Amino acid sequence: MTAATEAVGDRPAPPPEDLDRPPRSGPRPWRSRLYRWDVRYSPYVFVAPFFLFFSAFGIFPLLYTGWASLHRVELYAPDQLEWVGLHNYARLLGDDFFWNALRNTFTIGVLSTVPQLLMALGLAHLLHYRLRAASFWRVALLTPYATSVAAATLVFVLLYGRDYGMVNWALEAVGAGPVDWQSSTWSSQIAVSSIVIWRWTGYNALIYLAAMQAVPDELYESAALDGASRAQQFRHVTVPALRPTILFTVVVSTIGATQLFGEPLLFGGAGGQKGGASHQFQTLGLYLYEQGWFNFHLGRASAVAWTMFLILLLIGAVNLLIARGMRKSR
Amino acid sequence: MRRRFRTPPRRVTAVTAVAALGMGLFGACARDVGSAGEGPGGGGGRRTTVTIGTFGVFGYKQAGLYEEYERLHPGITIKESVIERNDAYYPQLLTHLAAGGGLSDIQAVEVGNIHDVATTQADRFVDLSRAAGVRADTWLDWKWAQATSPDGRTIGLGTDIGPIAVCYRKDLFAKAGLPTDRAGVGRLWAGDWRKYLETGRAYRRRAPAGTVFTDSAAGIYNAAIHGYAERYYDRRGHRVVGRSPAVRESWNLAVRAARDGLTARLKQFEKPWDQAYANGRFATVACPPWMLGYIKEKAGPAGEDKWDIAPAPRPANWGGSFITVPKAARHRKAAVALAVWLTAPEQQARLFDRQASIPSTPASYAMPQVRDARNPYFGDAPTGRIFSAAARSVPKLVIGPREQQIGTAFTDVGIPQVEQQGRSPAAAWKAAQKEIHNAVDE
Amino acid sequence: MRAGPVTYAVLALFTAGSLFPLVWTAVTASRDNARLARTPPPFRFGDRLLTNLGTAWSEAHMGLALFNTVLVAGAVALGTVLFATTAGFAFAKLRFRFRTALLLTTVGTMMVPPQLSVVPLFMVVAELHWTNQLQSVVLPTLVSAFGVFFMRQYLVEALPTELVEAARVDGASSLRVLWHVVFPVARPAMAVLGMLSFVQAWNDFFWPIIALTQENPTVQVALTGLGRGYVPDQAVIMAGALLGTLPLLLAFTLFGRQIVGGIMQGAVKG
Repeated sequence: MTAATEAVGDRPAPPPEDLDRPPRSGPRPWRSRLYRWDVRYSPYVFVAPFFLFFSAFGIFPLLYTGWASLHRVELYAPDQLEWVGLHNYARLLGDDFFWNALRNTFTIGVLSTVPQLLMALGLAHLLHYRLRAASFWRVALLTPYATSVAAATLVFVLLYGRDYGMVNWALEAVGAGPVDWQSSTWSSQIAVSSIVIWRWTGYNALIYLAAMQAVPDELYESAALDGASRAQQFRHVTVPALRPTILFTVVVSTIGATQLFGEPLLFGGAGGQKGGASHQFQTLGLYLYEQGWFNFHLGRASAVAWTMFLILLLIGAVNLLIARGMRKSR
Repeated sequence: MRRRFRTPPRRVTAVTAVAALGMGLFGACARDVGSAGEGPGGGGGRRTTVTIGTFGVFGYKQAGLYEEYERLHPGITIKESVIERNDAYYPQLLTHLAAGGGLSDIQAVEVGNIHDVATTQADRFVDLSRAAGVRADTWLDWKWAQATSPDGRTIGLGTDIGPIAVCYRKDLFAKAGLPTDRAGVGRLWAGDWRKYLETGRAYRRRAPAGTVFTDSAAGIYNAAIHGYAERYYDRRGHRVVGRSPAVRESWNLAVRAARDGLTARLKQFEKPWDQAYANGRFATVACPPWMLGYIKEKAGPAGEDKWDIAPAPRPANWGGSFITVPKAARHRKAAVALAVWLTAPEQQARLFDRQASIPSTPASYAMPQVRDARNPYFGDAPTGRIFSAAARSVPKLVIGPREQQIGTAFTDVGIPQVEQQGRSPAAAWKAAQKEIHNAVDE
Repeated sequence: MRAGPVTYAVLALFTAGSLFPLVWTAVTASRDNARLARTPPPFRFGDRLLTNLGTAWSEAHMGLALFNTVLVAGAVALGTVLFATTAGFAFAKLRFRFRTALLLTTVGTMMVPPQLSVVPLFMVVAELHWTNQLQSVVLPTLVSAFGVFFMRQYLVEALPTELVEAARVDGASSLRVLWHVVFPVARPAMAVLGMLSFVQAWNDFFWPIIALTQENPTVQVALTGLGRGYVPDQAVIMAGALLGTLPLLLAFTLFGRQIVGGIMQGAVKG
């Protein structure tokens, strides 16, 4: 579930513009007062609808989860909260299942994000050529994005079937042995990653393409004059120009990868929350889900959620620093 | 313990679980959305709408039981709400109970959960042993006991049970040089699951190409362990998972079968399992009565007249349910009356006729719908007699808290680690224990 | 630079990869359950596509579901765009107290794993008696922190501060500035955000399935009720998956050029 709509930007805010000075040629007094009110309070009016809904549906859940994570709460009696302080967090430190899930989240994240973005970059490069039927290629590459996780995973589960799946059938046709995709760590993680890659590569390619089109042609021309080959142009002109965009997609994908949930859950079939018999593809999202919904330990699940949240904040902070560093170095 | 009728589409199962959970968890706050209110307001004939909440298909509606009850009791309307899977349904029920709201007038409870409900929540339910027309000896004694609290209140009436038989392929048995008639096949392994494995090894020696003896090691584990009275808990209620002979022996059987290559290494109720039926990949499967319809559908016309049913090595019970009436039910009296009627032997027999769920009331077994039942797809096997015979000799099972989490630690973690991932039984056993420890947390 | 044959070959390969799972979904939806189970898997279309689509349609209350989904996704897209644009504008160009703190809070919540907000979220919805009503799905998704952030990032660069100042100098009220200055500039990003929100809302199942039931479903919720009973019918399930995706695919084919253009325009600045 790489959610594109869960992105964090890479740019820190520029200093706010000073717009609340009264106009030079003011209208009549009462209108001018009205005007001042307007200037002073309209920002709040503009953010109010958002924050109204946001506090009910965004902030409250966050705080509630934090509160629950400090308690022992069982689904057997969800109204009984027993204060345990940081026990749920301390417990995670010694919890092999947690570390396993963290590791899996990381490896699946790398397996899905790196090839995805590299392929997207390559595709964007190709799409940037003058093409016949340019729209067709773009739309076709974007169709997986329109497919829901549920529908996509449904197909991929069939494709990756051990005994009767099409991938193994094709592998055998070329003489390679069948792979038990679900059972081994790497094959299952590759299979899960491939679903993510399939859904998001085209989307990212278009984002890169857009950024490429914004690169001035003169840069290429002068590079060509200097005798740079196409590959060199790509490396020395395109990639540097795309840096902010690449950073943006990296961050979006990272958040998506950290929260990865739907694909491994549905890939695992019944009991999918375990992420395989050895938890070989159980991500943090799945572990949280298993703890809360199947083992009924709501407090622990909340602690996992907040830990994930903190990890992401950390990544966000690091990212911000990198972005700053990059800006300075420019 | 497997839920009954575990056949939802794979991709949604867990999702449905969240759904029910979310709802369940805070059902307290939801003041009855599907208003189980009285009928048309004002007017003369007030109608009482009795609501019944179940997981999976119980078949009351399909068998026409609601309709008949409504006809017999003018003024009563029955409304059923079904959640597909018990692992979605049960957490919801728990929360509703804790909140004392959002409950149906009748709530079904699966056998794997009945202990929790009977021991920790008994005061939230009506004691049905005192209801008019209820007599304990109508039910199999172990079934009755499962829903009875330590202080003697019976909070659930038994619906169906899941006695196990073994479904086998006559044609494959013939090719492997094994007997093919029900009695002969039953004698091969009568009394001991180890003989079942021996048969498996005999089968393997002359197995038709591309076939194996049975579907999954977890299936063997389930079939074996449910034949013991004490499994995860002893009679005093202590958890004995690690040292329980029942667990050990069932585990050894399953692991043995896996390592001897007797299984198709499948996960039951998953797509490849379906495909294996269609492709005739395995020769036997331990089958409760409710699985027959599944086999028929998946094996398709190609399997017609090839399958048959023989008694299992040892009687065992896999699945089964209860219906309860929470004290917070809106129409408590009407609900009790309906629950008693639905679980009476006559109605249970009719349900078997329609739904293949074996009654938990022995009196039903003598009724024609059960006694004379035959299944044409399975070589006209006398399913009523086979399964009711098994039902009578099922031991009195001791059940305890978190049966489901403990069960899946073996069937979904430990055993597949050996069977699918080739890990050593010792390592897999340890993994299963660790899994239980993490899930139970005491 | 013109594309050579290699470029076309590679693009064709990736396009095939992108389309194959979808095409194959249609193939499986055109077969029957028994055929799907056999090997080798089917490659060609069978004759049951319409039958299976019909079954899926009636079993899953697809008519109502599609109607609901268009309603929900449309409302979510509209609301998200509107609220995100106004808030994004305020964050980008206006000065007010707690601005930074509020913005950080907004950005921070984008990182909360959605699996867990579901529980407290349901408390709110239940408290409001909204279960099984469409607003329970619309309102919580209406405000997307990502949307606000997205619009802010866009407007910071795309909207010249002088433009806003000039309007102010002319004595334009905030509403007028919003309408005549901000919206025109933000339009490409609004289109992108609208499209993203629409697709997201269309395909969302995690939350809707908790808040809604089969009686009043969105498409994704409806699909979860498919193939139930004793024996799941794989072909019908695939047909349902196809039904749920088809409208979006259709929209992509019809408006593909605009959608792609929108994403690209928005992406440059976003």
